[in-house]
Amino acid sequence: MTGLALRFAGRELRSGVKGFRIFLACLALGVAAIAAAGSTAEAFRRGLASQAGEILGGDMALMVQQRRFTPAERKAIESKGKVSWAVSARGMAEAPGGLRRLVELRGVSETYPLAGKVDLEGAANLTEALRPDPDGVMGAAVERSLLDRLGMKLGDRFLVGNVPLIARAVLLQEPDRLSRGFALGPRVLTRLDTVAGGGFLEPGLPFGETARLALPASKSPKAVTTELRKLMPKSAVRIRDRDDAAPGIGRLIDQLEYFLGFIGLASLVAGGLGVFGAVSAYLDAKRPTIAVLKALGGDGVLVRDIYLLQIGLLALVGVTIGLVLGAAAPLVLGALVRDELPVPALFALYPWPLIKAGAFGLLSAAAFSLLPLARARATSPASLFRRDLRGGLPLGLETLGAVLAGLGLAGLAVATAPTPLAASIMIAGVAVAFGLLWALGLAGAWAAGRARGLTSGPLRMGLANLAGPASAARTAAPAIGLGVALLSAVVLIQSSLLRQVSEVAPRTAPALVFTEVPGDRVAAFDAVVARAFGAKLTGDIYLRAPFVTGRIIRVRGVAVKRDQIREGDRWAYDNDISMSAIGPEPDQPNIVSGRWWPADYAGPPLVALDVQAAEGARLKVGDAVTLSILGREIEARVAVRRKVDFGGFGATFPVVLTPSALAGADLRHVAIAKATKAQEAAVIRALGTDFPEVNVISVREQLEAATDLFDRLALAIRGAAGVAALAGLFVLAGAIAARAQARTREAAILKALGASRAQILTAYVLEYGAVGVIAGAAGVALGYAAAWPVVVLVFQAQWSVDWGGVVALVGGAALLAALGGLLASLQALSRRPAAALRAE
Amino acid sequence: MSDAVPPLLMEGVSLTLPSTAGPVEILRALDLRVEGGERVAVTGPSGSGKSSLIAVAAGLERPTAGRVEVFGQDLGRLDEDGRARLRRGRVSLVFQSFHLLPNMTAEENVAAPLEIAGARNAEPTAREWLDRVGLSARLKHYPHQLSGGEQQRVALARALAGRPVLLFADEPTGNLDADNAAHVADLMLDLVCETGAALVLVTHDAALAARADRTLTMQGGRIAP
Repeated sequence: MTGLALRFAGRELRSGVKGFRIFLACLALGVAAIAAAGSTAEAFRRGLASQAGEILGGDMALMVQQRRFTPAERKAIESKGKVSWAVSARGMAEAPGGLRRLVELRGVSETYPLAGKVDLEGAANLTEALRPDPDGVMGAAVERSLLDRLGMKLGDRFLVGNVPLIARAVLLQEPDRLSRGFALGPRVLTRLDTVAGGGFLEPGLPFGETARLALPASKSPKAVTTELRKLMPKSAVRIRDRDDAAPGIGRLIDQLEYFLGFIGLASLVAGGLGVFGAVSAYLDAKRPTIAVLKALGGDGVLVRDIYLLQIGLLALVGVTIGLVLGAAAPLVLGALVRDELPVPALFALYPWPLIKAGAFGLLSAAAFSLLPLARARATSPASLFRRDLRGGLPLGLETLGAVLAGLGLAGLAVATAPTPLAASIMIAGVAVAFGLLWALGLAGAWAAGRARGLTSGPLRMGLANLAGPASAARTAAPAIGLGVALLSAVVLIQSSLLRQVSEVAPRTAPALVFTEVPGDRVAAFDAVVARAFGAKLTGDIYLRAPFVTGRIIRVRGVAVKRDQIREGDRWAYDNDISMSAIGPEPDQPNIVSGRWWPADYAGPPLVALDVQAAEGARLKVGDAVTLSILGREIEARVAVRRKVDFGGFGATFPVVLTPSALAGADLRHVAIAKATKAQEAAVIRALGTDFPEVNVISVREQLEAATDLFDRLALAIRGAAGVAALAGLFVLAGAIAARAQARTREAAILKALGASRAQILTAYVLEYGAVGVIAGAAGVALGYAAAWPVVVLVFQAQWSVDWGGVVALVGGAALLAALGGLLASLQALSRRPAAALRAE
Repeated sequence: MSDAVPPLLMEGVSLTLPSTAGPVEILRALDLRVEGGERVAVTGPSGSGKSSLIAVAAGLERPTAGRVEVFGQDLGRLDEDGRARLRRGRVSLVFQSFHLLPNMTAEENVAAPLEIAGARNAEPTAREWLDRVGLSARLKHYPHQLSGGEQQRVALARALAGRPVLLFADEPTGNLDADNAAHVADLMLDLVCETGAALVLVTHDAALAARADRTLTMQGGRIAP
């Protein structure tokens, strides 16, 4: 690049960057979105890391499920540092008035918490809150929702199972809550011995124990983990340290960053058309200058360098504006909502997300600017004599650069994604959608050209403009369409899932789940439920079956190896899963292959497997599987592979054995029921007397909570997707601005020929309205195509279209575009025809 | 006819351009030889191909057939960049509609071809030439701040500042009033004489054409006999 190019570029830039406002806006918007997403995610990651000790409750956490630590394990753990012990279980809380509900019960040792502090209301500290009354009843800290639901106040006594407690404080926050995840009911915190003595930690019950360790400064968690694994080689103990304090939250942040970053990337692609349009318009206006430069002896390299320098400099300005906005937005947001965030966050300037966003911006600028530059370089000096002469698109360095930048953009998006495959699919989707929208824009312009012969007046003028060389159908329509596609995909996914949790699931899923039903008193239990329901318990409203958790440990005689199981199906082999033993074939067994056994079958153990779990290890009918249940190993043959509808009403166990396989075991049962709100309240109260140990989970309550959460998330995600639509509007503004001068001249000529202002206005509104309709309809169609597989295949939910939302999107796109046309025409009509014609 | 290599030699040059109504023959088997220092006027009705003759002769347009040699170099063997390099410092153009660079001052416009050719003293030379065309007070003015006559004088200074061997002028007075046209014409012919450049001048002005060494008339893409 020569000093001459630099000098000439400087002279050109002296006349200002008016034509580049849209260029700057499009680049800045996309870069700001990516930078803001990355900076916010980094703030959460740093926040989590800075409070990893509090989140974990110590330097390390060791967990066991369905059992307590053995004396040997305790000794090994205590040898490594200071320990706090905690057990967690579920139980039914009952207020003095008889109101009952499921709670998450937690018992902690005196040493709890090792890190951070428990926030309470009503008591100065945890010791005071949990101290026993003079009559020996232990204190408890409870969440406010429990007090509200059971109509209690602080100081009231209540039962959990058969254990009396006093609600002495409101539990506001525990330091290790984030690391424990989802809760089925309000939390109740008391002493460990109280929980242990209350019968909640018996074999077969769903409970777990956690040891939290504070290590001496000289010890590293990784080294201690290795030492502990050696000390207890055969123990199934899960060990986490500060680096892995809240893995679920970490994954969520990764996914959220990618989703928001993806929207930013889509805005960059949609805005890319604005970049392309602005650079094209600028270089088109420079054609005489380029031709003169060539006539004066300047070669193509000089021409390219002069404009590459200008565009590069402006791209840097656009990216810098985007980076400043993207870095500042989380800081401002953080200052406003810091106290309301569920996850700790450290808002600051982080270089890596900004570098990444900057790279995306520069690659996008290159991908969309270099082609017009290549065409400008090819401008013939003969265009000084013939104005219609346009440079073709030569295959040179600029074209190669544009292709490489496009590939770089996609490559960077995939390389920085948490799941490259999903990212590749999403990016390929955007590329295909963009291609389709562009082709549709071309087709729209072509169709308008054909149709104009059939019309007259303003409509003909509008169609002629739509078909013309500077048609907005070719630039603005694809950009708006991409924004609408993203928005409509979000709206359609959201409406389907929301309908699933608010309408479909309450209709198809059980309203109540009863767990820990004693196996020797099932008939009495059924009778209590029937009485409370005031109805006969038929199969379509009530189902009960034995329940046990266990694990598939061998497949065809070979120990299960995690990495040989298909990734999406590892849930069936990684954890204890729910199992049952059922004789007669259930209603709607959804058998895919094999046959259900006879109701009175008493032969060698057979098993019915969920087809997805079976596919994970390529299990076929007749194959052997070994199950570990209640400390026993049971070898069974696969008799049935069936599709289990986990959200439905039925025998939703991934593993069902023949009853003889578990003969002699004292199994608890689970039951599911459909019930009205009144029946729900009646049965919960009735069970308090005869079956206090039975836990009742209200699915209705969970669904309501999910609906609420989903609503709040959807609003934020819709807002983010709106960024891409904004990029589309920028491109529309760019298309309007690029034609402003030509339109003023056109309007003047039309007026000189006798056209009224209303006719000209109508023509422009029709033209841009048509662009909006094309973009809106195509965007919604593409959004539909993207949302359907996500709803039906990924979430396995029922597809339902929010027609109101669809109409709003298409109508909104048409309206905004028509408004653009109105502004364009008002601008064009604002000059007197004589003045406009003289300027020519 | 001299044996020396002529600045411009055109043999059997044709130019056919596509149009929506079908191909249009602009130039038809045209022959032209311009000797060093010779002043050739080209006249003819509109659409007879005069401007296209300049475009092809200056290497701005490739002929469909025939051969164009500038300083003995066959333009057909050069790509567009090669033709641009050939023009540097040796071939200049003056256009009817001036074609000044809108974002450059008068001084910068005149300096531009010198800078492109790598001349060291571009700006002083530009100032000197603007002084010669009577525009020393307009050095820092942009084209839109100048009158038509002034713009054409800047264009003339730009064309001659590099002391070209061959100057093409396409209707240089076509957009000017009578006084300005006479002034620009006098200036151009005087300066061409002084620099010794060969001149190919397209004009409708019979009086101006009469001041050339030779006048050719074009008709239907051919030089009339």
